[in-house]
Amino acid sequence: MKLLDMTRKYGNATHEYPFAPYEVAEGFRGKPEYTYELCIGCTACAVACPSNAMNVQLNEAKDKLVWKFDCGRCIYCGRCDEVCPTGAVALGDNFETAVRLNKEDLIETGELELQACVRCNVNFTTKRLIAYCIENFINVGWSKEQIDHKAVYIKTCPTCKKEESVGLVVGHFYKGGVVR
Amino acid sequence: MNDKMNKKGDIFINKLKEKIKILDVSRMPEEQITITVDRADLPETVRMLYYDMGGWLSTMVPNDERQINGNYTLYYALSMEGGKMSYDDELPAEDKCWITVKAYIPATDPCYPSVTRLVPAAVWYEREAYDMLGLVAEGLPDPRRLVLSDDWPDDLFPMRKDAMEYNYRPDPVDHADEPEYKFLHPEGEGLIDVPLGPLHITSDEPGHFRLYCDGDTIIDADYRLFYQHRGMEKLAENRMSYDQMGFLAERVCGICGYAHATACIEAAERAIDMEIPRRAQAIRIINQEIERLHSHMLNIGLACEVTGNINAFMHIFRIREFSMELAQLVSGGRKTYGNVVVGGMRRDISAKEIRKGLELLQTMETQLKEVWEAVMEDDSQVSRWKGVGILDRQVARDFSAVGPNIRGSGFKRDTRYDHPYDFHDAIEYEVAVEEGCDVYAREWVRYKELLESISIIRQCFEIMPAGSIITNHNKRIIPQAYALANNEAPRGENIHWIQHGSAQKVFRWRCRAATYNNWPSLRFQFRGNTIADAALIVCSMDPCYSCTDRVTVVDVKSKRSKVLTHSDLKKYSQTLKHSPLKDI
Repeated sequence: MKLLDMTRKYGNATHEYPFAPYEVAEGFRGKPEYTYELCIGCTACAVACPSNAMNVQLNEAKDKLVWKFDCGRCIYCGRCDEVCPTGAVALGDNFETAVRLNKEDLIETGELELQACVRCNVNFTTKRLIAYCIENFINVGWSKEQIDHKAVYIKTCPTCKKEESVGLVVGHFYKGGVVR
Repeated sequence: MNDKMNKKGDIFINKLKEKIKILDVSRMPEEQITITVDRADLPETVRMLYYDMGGWLSTMVPNDERQINGNYTLYYALSMEGGKMSYDDELPAEDKCWITVKAYIPATDPCYPSVTRLVPAAVWYEREAYDMLGLVAEGLPDPRRLVLSDDWPDDLFPMRKDAMEYNYRPDPVDHADEPEYKFLHPEGEGLIDVPLGPLHITSDEPGHFRLYCDGDTIIDADYRLFYQHRGMEKLAENRMSYDQMGFLAERVCGICGYAHATACIEAAERAIDMEIPRRAQAIRIINQEIERLHSHMLNIGLACEVTGNINAFMHIFRIREFSMELAQLVSGGRKTYGNVVVGGMRRDISAKEIRKGLELLQTMETQLKEVWEAVMEDDSQVSRWKGVGILDRQVARDFSAVGPNIRGSGFKRDTRYDHPYDFHDAIEYEVAVEEGCDVYAREWVRYKELLESISIIRQCFEIMPAGSIITNHNKRIIPQAYALANNEAPRGENIHWIQHGSAQKVFRWRCRAATYNNWPSLRFQFRGNTIADAALIVCSMDPCYSCTDRVTVVDVKSKRSKVLTHSDLKKYSQTLKHSPLKDI
């Protein structure tokens, strides 16, 4: 009997959800939201993701870098949010992640344009990542000449950089008469 | 000399030395002592520590160390805390410690004398050691398979380092060729064999029970579990970094996952002697206690529901919702997942959250007291709990039961109290103990712990120091260093044992969930009760599940059988009318 009185005392315990929105606490860790405009394709999220829900890979034609997020694998730990340098991936409030019938609907993608190496013309990173670096150079107060000089360097792919450095070293010693 | 005598655990070692040749003693970390003995001395050493000196078997780790020293190794970890059979039978706090008995098993002759004959608590561990590593316990009374399925290839032992790729799975055997699992069967006339399972009712977890009944009374029981063995230990040691491992450990359990994550990470931290900031310690405790709140309320609710008290169940679940809200507030999710990392925590608690949290605790406390009072006044409810599922004190002692299960039988056994970890040294609280040994006592223990949890969270909120929540010590993993970490999960003591490997990866991770120590004694709790109480008894042990999907009843004499549906059994458990066994 006491329990029935209690029911009357506390009234309705249920929420109106889904007919009214359900308020979550501040700082709730919901589904990671992706802002395509901010993504630079640095792959930090893909490296951090413990459950491999996020992946950054070249597409089949190897002309675009594809950011891919499979919500079905996500464990909502928020590591991606922590490591993202631009805030392109940030945890939101969304907890309604169900899809109907098609599992593919759980997957989100974003395609990023690639930057070709200025020397060998092979794609090696995204244009946005280069732009992000240059923007940072401006922010730390580098002059235009310095930036133009460095831009060539950062638009060179790692393989070419390696070859160039080896070339420089060899050239140096050759001039100095060490290598004969 | 004097200095040497004062070291923790020396009193036990000196006593052991009188009878047993100890090959080596090491302390790593300080309060965890490892003694190495010859494998022939293993049973007697464990027995002496267990029964003569008041140890409890916390875990046993079989390990493949062939690449390190050419042997397999067994580690029997005992928690030295006193037998606790009477009030004064307890060790003083400064003598409590962990003693791990280590024995080498040569790779060419992988067998050892069974400890189970002298210490029954080791039975599951030794059965698992055979399944996983092919180590044969000579003289083990019950050498059936435990973890792996019956059609698993005989010569494949998955935890051996050279056994298999972690994602390889042997082809299943055709159902007709599958070997039959031999259930223990009591002898006698007119016994009815009642299988319960393969899926248990409330929490959708698989487990198969055989209840042997005389009329309505259960004479004996046997069970087969591990239908969903996921091979996590193997998975972690092959490819996970420590950053990922905590998140994997969380997935051990759907309810007390946080306790597993903390225990796992703390084992890794203790092995390299890493101290974490006090604030992070306090937040770990808060999250664990929140977990206890919602887990215990779930259990009390279900114990009401299984006996037909739906009204109380609904009220308790309504209050449970506040604890979920609290979890959301302090951890960002309704489950407290994804917060623990090696070295501290990932998420701090703000002053605003603390204020809101304190309000929620207040609401929870008042409403909980109201509902519990009403439930206790309900004679029909209390009579269904009283005297049911007795866990005999000697059985509890023999099988090293843990958690509310053993505290309901009058043992003051709580790992927060025996081996305080983290912030617990700064907090005042009482260990909830009840003498009844029955379901009623265990639910009382849970209720008292709910109030204690609320008080612990409150204390943490109030006295937790400010500062960083993650350590900035740049400590390296030491290969082969090992340690165990203990943790009082809602269901009892969780033990994780970690041995570091090279390349910042784990070499061996042994996870022992609380219920693992409780299962072997369940058989004794069933005896003498009726079928209607079977679901309740399992529920009161809180193994994450409590009823069955489908029950087949077989009359051994007439060979007739009857399949009961989920609702048939549930209805009978709740109303006690129209016995489903009447017409067979």
